[in-house]
Amino acid sequence: MKSVFFSRFFILLPWVLIVIIMIDIDTKRTVRAPAAGRTGRAQQRGARTGAPGGNQNQSALPVIYAITPTYTRPVQKAELTRLAHAFRQVPRFHWIVVEDSTARTELVARFLARCGVPYTHLHVFTPRRFKRAGMPRATEQRNVALAWLRQHRTARDAGVVFFADDDNTYSLELFEEMRSTRGVSVWPVGFVGGRAYERPLVSGGKVVGWYTGWRPDRPFATDMAGFAVNLRVILGNPRAQFKRRGSQPGMQESDFLKQITKVTELEPKANNCTRVLVWHTRTEKPHLGNEPKHRKDNVVIEV
Amino acid sequence: MPKRRDILAIVLIVLPWTLLITVWHQSAITPLLATRKDDSRDSRSNSRNTFALKESCSMQNRDIVEVVRTEYVYSRPPPWSDVLPTIHVVTPTYSRPVQKAELTRLANTFLHVPNLHWILVEDSQRRTALVSRLLQDTGLNYTHLNVETPRNYKVRGDTRDPRIPRGTMQRNLALRWLRETFSVNSSQPGIVYFADDDNTYSLELFEEMRSTRKVSVWPVAFVGGLRYESPKVNTLGKVYGWKTVFDPHRPFAIDMAGFAVNLRLILYKPQAYFKLRGVKGGYQESSLLKELVTLNDLEPKAANCTKVLVWHTRTEKPVLVNEGKKGFTDSNVEI
Repeated sequence: MKSVFFSRFFILLPWVLIVIIMIDIDTKRTVRAPAAGRTGRAQQRGARTGAPGGNQNQSALPVIYAITPTYTRPVQKAELTRLAHAFRQVPRFHWIVVEDSTARTELVARFLARCGVPYTHLHVFTPRRFKRAGMPRATEQRNVALAWLRQHRTARDAGVVFFADDDNTYSLELFEEMRSTRGVSVWPVGFVGGRAYERPLVSGGKVVGWYTGWRPDRPFATDMAGFAVNLRVILGNPRAQFKRRGSQPGMQESDFLKQITKVTELEPKANNCTRVLVWHTRTEKPHLGNEPKHRKDNVVIEV
Repeated sequence: MPKRRDILAIVLIVLPWTLLITVWHQSAITPLLATRKDDSRDSRSNSRNTFALKESCSMQNRDIVEVVRTEYVYSRPPPWSDVLPTIHVVTPTYSRPVQKAELTRLANTFLHVPNLHWILVEDSQRRTALVSRLLQDTGLNYTHLNVETPRNYKVRGDTRDPRIPRGTMQRNLALRWLRETFSVNSSQPGIVYFADDDNTYSLELFEEMRSTRKVSVWPVAFVGGLRYESPKVNTLGKVYGWKTVFDPHRPFAIDMAGFAVNLRLILYKPQAYFKLRGVKGGYQESSLLKELVTLNDLEPKAANCTKVLVWHTRTEKPVLVNEGKKGFTDSNVEI
């Protein structure tokens, strides 16, 4: 009788230990969660599907979703390469690349497969009649990315959505600043508004105005690269879109932001908006005057 | 069947113990990792404090979040390897509005390259605070030099005026620094590459150039009015010409970003420098290379010069009309 009892006991012992440890890990993870409203269940799910390295700290960080509209032109691959080099160093990052095309291009597909960043490759074609000077650009592409997020993410996923145009320059600090966004956060942007930088004016930790050289009467006088939105706000406003009809040039950001937030609710980042962490650089069109009309080379080389 | 019950019993015993051991292993390692990374961050520069976490009230566990923040603001470059040759990247730079943005982008790329030594040479009288701070913050292995190009040689006047092409004095200073720092007899392998601050470099490029024995060459995009310029390579893998439209009869019809030189060659030929004066447009690279190698010695890289791994991008001058004559924005805010 005794031997049977002992054997049963030793069989049960490790299982009991496992149960105790699982309960312990569960409570540890819920304590470490940032106050972004993550529930215990979501933590466990994130931990199991996410961090392969088993680093508990990493699985608690909100994911940064960068939405990059792009279009085919000679410098496209160079721009995406530079962007990838910055994004590869940001943990918990998801790159949503939306091409202005009727189908996914080989160049971008091949590039993304080797870029080293988790990504989603979408595409939507903007008709030619919307590509005239002064018209808002990349509207359809950004809306398609928002639709993807709304379809594939739920309120339990912690994330921050950010619009990263492919010719801008991003410092790594910027991503750490935006990660703590609870609603909508804003910061200065270099080289916009005809000035060295444009920035929100901050007083008492709240945004009270806008410092810009162009149309300071805009409700949100900021650039596409100057704000980030918590994923929950995107999901909570399912009809918030970038508008094309009835939108004036330069009002894209304002028209979008006023659908989801108010100026008083904005969170200023970058040291109360006194540091420039992102620059609205533009790349020159390269001089291709010596290209022959018909291809003369005997190989096809992707540039 | 007693056999099946035995097997079941064995599985029931072994399984939980293996699970326990893996869980114990995992949980023992992660706190170690967190504390180790924290220690290595203590030796960082003071500028780190400027973006210390201030919203601690919104985070429940401040210590954990601090560790994570300092770990990822600027990633560390890959650990130094004793086996890989060092790539000495020479970048001349000068103050203008987009300078910090350009250097930031470059740093973002270089942080991925192992054994990289960045030699940044400013065209200025003194080393500027902006560049010094940026270099410190990146955590890259760097050398910060400066030399000012004399004013009267920078001004674009008559085409007959002897003008020093931009960046020449800075690159020559870097070459001189390399010759003073490394002796010909030292066995430290190294490659010298001239990287301008507005170009775009792929990571593959650096791995291609690491195997340079004398001088290696490859195609460059967006130069010479073409999608790309490239050396002509024959079936034996030797360079015999240049696929360019703009003056293909230059001794070396290649852009500054299209070649790399083995450090030993630089040290063996201490008289080889970029020619300062009387250099026609597009001949700067030839002025150095003809003192170092002949066409026959060139090593073609990038799959026999059929892949484009570097792009000669140029950044537009930003529109600053609203600054006005005296400047509108606060000059203390660094851009």
